[in-house]
This record gives sequence, C-alpha cells and structure tokens, in this order.
Amino acid sequence: MSEKELSKDESLQLISDMITQAKRNLARGGSFYFLLWGWVVMLANLGHYFIYKYELYPYPFIVWSLTIPALIASMVHGARSSKRAQVKSHLDRIYGLVWLGVMICIVITLVFMSKVNYNVNAIILCFAALGTFISGCMLRFNPLVMGGAALWVASIIAFNVTPNDQYLVGAIGILAGYLIPGYLLKKVESEQV
Amino acid sequence: MNKFKELDPLLHSQLRLAVMSLLIGVDSAEFVFIKEKTGATAGNLSVQLDKLSTAGYISVTKSFKGKKPVTTCSITRVGIKAFESYVNALKQYIE
Repeated sequence: MSEKELSKDESLQLISDMITQAKRNLARGGSFYFLLWGWVVMLANLGHYFIYKYELYPYPFIVWSLTIPALIASMVHGARSSKRAQVKSHLDRIYGLVWLGVMICIVITLVFMSKVNYNVNAIILCFAALGTFISGCMLRFNPLVMGGAALWVASIIAFNVTPNDQYLVGAIGILAGYLIPGYLLKKVESEQV
Repeated sequence: MNKFKELDPLLHSQLRLAVMSLLIGVDSAEFVFIKEKTGATAGNLSVQLDKLSTAGYISVTKSFKGKKPVTTCSITRVGIKAFESYVNALKQYIE
C-alpha cells in the first residue's frame, strides 16, 4: 500500500475493507475457560454431593480446593494469550471485564455465605448464568445464550431444594451451561483457524 | 450552492486512511498486525504512523514482549473525531 491520493469511492471502499479485516480477528471465544471451569466446577459439585450424601469424608468442601489450580491455570492462560495477541478488540476487553465482575460477585457471596445460611449454590449459579448469557450475546453464539438460560433455570431449581441437592443441580446446570456450549464453541473456534 | 467540506488531507491518503480504519474497530493493535493487514512496508508504515501520532490522531506506545520490542497503536478521541468528520465529508460528496 502506497501513500497515493484516493478518489472518494476508493476511500469508502478502503474504509470498508479495513473494518472487515479488523473484524475477522475479533471474537476469540474463550472455550478454554468454559471447558476448564465447566469440568472443575461440575466435578467439585458432584464430589461434594456424593461425599456428603454417603458420608465418605467429614469435610466434603475439600473438593473445592480443585478451584485453586484452575484459577492459576486460568491466569497463566490469560497472560499467555494476551502476550500472543497482536490486536486487542473492544470485545476482548469487555468480555474480560464481565467475567471479572462475575468473579467479584461470587467471591463476595462466598465470603458472606454464613449470612445466607450457606445456601450459596443457587446465587452462584445465577451469577454464572449472567456471565454466560452476556458472553453468548457478545459473541453472537446462541448455544452460550441458551447455556445462560439453562443456568438460570438451575438457579431457580436450586433455590427450592436442600443445600446438598443444590450441588447436584449445580453439576447438571454447569454441564448444560458451560460444558456443552463450551465444546460447541471449541468446534467453531477450530473451524475458524 | 452546496458548500462541500474539505477532506482532511492527513486522512485522505491510502495508507493513513487504512491505518485509521483498522484502528477505529479495535482497542489496540501491534505494528506487525497493521503491517500485515495493510500490506505496507515497515519503513513507509513507520513514517505514516509518525504523522498520525504527531497530529494526535493515534497514540503509539513502545514496550517489550520478553526481549522483543513491540509497538502498539490505538486511536485517540481526536482521531475518532477526525475520522468521523472525514466520513461525513465523504458522504456529502456522494450524496
């Protein structure tokens, strides 16, 4: 491309071409996070549910320590992909901020879990639903939008069952809201490359 | 008689307009990305980025990725305004 003067039509064509070029690099979906957190949270939910139900171990919440390596893996992956990226879209930035917001809501809920009589699962599912729904809308990826809706349904059910059954509902909700859309997103991402 | 707005000479050049059109759609982009998308040579691109930066249309930051120097560009508020005026002026000609 040179520094030549343009006709008006050439100018418009160039603007439209370049905007299309930039668009093609947008919407990296982040299926990695949905799959990582989907598996970790689903296994932790199931673990907690069965350990408590069959009294396998006196501290069923120990399974949630799985989230610590998952958090480290997320941070490492995030730092690496941001280093690799040659371009940062507005969408990338907002996408990250939405999930940061969801994480802050979840941490606040966990810190004050005694105030809600330890019935945190239904609330956490509601926050996860919000993040998934917004992500789906931003990426224009309907399975994620439906995943968000599935997590809201799971949250409504969880509000109406015993605290231990909430873990089972949570596991099914995460399967429908994170894992299934996460695998579909991964398939779309691999086709884009 | 219709009075046509003059087209901003800084934007009315192929490579500078291409850079601005790329940057208007993203938060920030690295030099290599812009070079690849515009197909410009590194030397020419550097000169044009300098002109846009001097006019305050883009901000250019230099940093390091490991040991590799990286130049990142993003459009400024002034740049967005200039780009919008340019597109509006173009519209006048076409209408």
